[in-house]
Amino acid sequence: MNTATGIIRALNSGIKHIATKRFTLRYPEEKLKFVGDGYQFDPSTGVGIAGLKGRHMLFHDHCTGCQLCSIACEGVAEAIAMVKVPEEQKQNKKSIMPQIDYGKCVFCGLCVDACPFYALYMTNDYELSSFSKEGLIYTPAQLQVKPFVAQDSEIQISDRGATHG
Amino acid sequence: MTAQLPPGLALHKVDERIMTLNVGPQHPGSGHMRLIVQIDGDYIVACDPDPGYVHRGEEKMAEYRNYVTNIPHLERPVIHDSCNILYPYVLGVEELLGIEVPERAKYIRVIASELNRCIYTMYWLAIYGIFLGHSTMFMWPAGDRELLIDLMEKMTGARVTHAHFVPGGVRNDLPPNFEDVCLRQVNYFEKRIKEYAAVFYDNPILVSRTRDTGVLSRQDAIGYGTTGSVLRASGVDYDLRVKEPYDVYDELDVHTNVMKEGDSYARSKVPWLDMIESCNIIRQTLQKMPKSGSVRVKLKPNPKTKGLESVYKRVESGRGSLGCYIVSDAKVEPYRVKLSVPSFRNLIALPNLLRGEKLGNMPSVYWSLNYWPVEADR
Repeated sequence: MNTATGIIRALNSGIKHIATKRFTLRYPEEKLKFVGDGYQFDPSTGVGIAGLKGRHMLFHDHCTGCQLCSIACEGVAEAIAMVKVPEEQKQNKKSIMPQIDYGKCVFCGLCVDACPFYALYMTNDYELSSFSKEGLIYTPAQLQVKPFVAQDSEIQISDRGATHG
Repeated sequence: MTAQLPPGLALHKVDERIMTLNVGPQHPGSGHMRLIVQIDGDYIVACDPDPGYVHRGEEKMAEYRNYVTNIPHLERPVIHDSCNILYPYVLGVEELLGIEVPERAKYIRVIASELNRCIYTMYWLAIYGIFLGHSTMFMWPAGDRELLIDLMEKMTGARVTHAHFVPGGVRNDLPPNFEDVCLRQVNYFEKRIKEYAAVFYDNPILVSRTRDTGVLSRQDAIGYGTTGSVLRASGVDYDLRVKEPYDVYDELDVHTNVMKEGDSYARSKVPWLDMIESCNIIRQTLQKMPKSGSVRVKLKPNPKTKGLESVYKRVESGRGSLGCYIVSDAKVEPYRVKLSVPSFRNLIALPNLLRGEKLGNMPSVYWSLNYWPVEADR
């Protein structure tokens, strides 16, 4: 193939893309759709359930304060600290529950794998930015709240190319 | 005067014609490393690669963590290829602890590994394109990567560092309906990357810039101990997926792409051909995979070996053969973890490839080595 044909072919393949759909996700307005309700773990079978590894969710009525999540995090990020829960909240025997510092967390989910009491899950919430370092530390009371995550866009493939819905 | 300077900063004695040039470590054209280049006019006389700027002590860190806690940090050297850098470690630990992995988990690992190889190669291709001044080749791979990252996100729950492989299988089963989505997106991905031929690989401008630059002969490629796409581009038929199949690669039909030229063009084309081959492998895997079954063997907490044992495992990563040597001494932590990385081996060939080249050809030769600085420094 000579040079002129090659250059024309290259230009032509670019020009064809004028007709294709826009692939980019317009992020703050559109948000990606995830599979399932976040990463969960079933200790009876020892296998996880697929989902996004986002912010954790703590079930206060299941947590026994056994510190296994904190021990699992020790070699990874040291993001989990066991803190005293206030009197008016739900208590366990040791009255301690995990507090997670998202400035350190790497979202590997090994803490979820370590929990034998179905108390710690990961949700689809990934928008955790904060103006201060203190704002990234989530107390047991904050972790109890189930986040609302908007999900609307999924990759769709047609003859005119792929697009985010 | 020169003796008081630290060794890395020592000034080179040069004659009047030859100038020493530091390329990097900050300039993106070199990655996180420095190339000390001596030039005579426009031609490179000698090149001395100076890696080590992103050394993280991964191997030492691995000695203080147990076999499972090691996983999140060991995949950090190559975050875009995190499944493949974890693969030899996980295989090694499984052999040390005597774990038999379920059949379905092996297939899931192959899918994750091939998807990761493509994700890495697309990222590399985007960088290769932009350093040759081809902006379209930066935008297209960076966009089409999203198709596969989306699959990895559905599969593992993370877009980049997955922490998906564990000794004994994988962390979680595939989500429902994954096979259909995977097949659809991989087919479209393959169709897309085949379009790159017209705009990039058959583009006369690219061919004229990369043909016959940095030629590595077959003899030299074997002699320097290069691996992966660099070795295959020099005409050596060597792929660990075929030569030493691990997990279920022996049941799959893997074709090795070999090119004879050994120049920058061949080195940049072989990874692209490998991506098309990866799509074939994923399609075969989805067909042959058991539809249900266990994906993870339950391990005891803090598993350890009986006595002093060692194991060496290697896999074919996105850059070449990646080995992991683990020594265990009956403790919960490994005694030693040694990563033998392909990037560092391929870098050895660089001074010879650049000798006599024009300085303007340096990016095309350097990036064609499929080099990842963080992995080389680990």
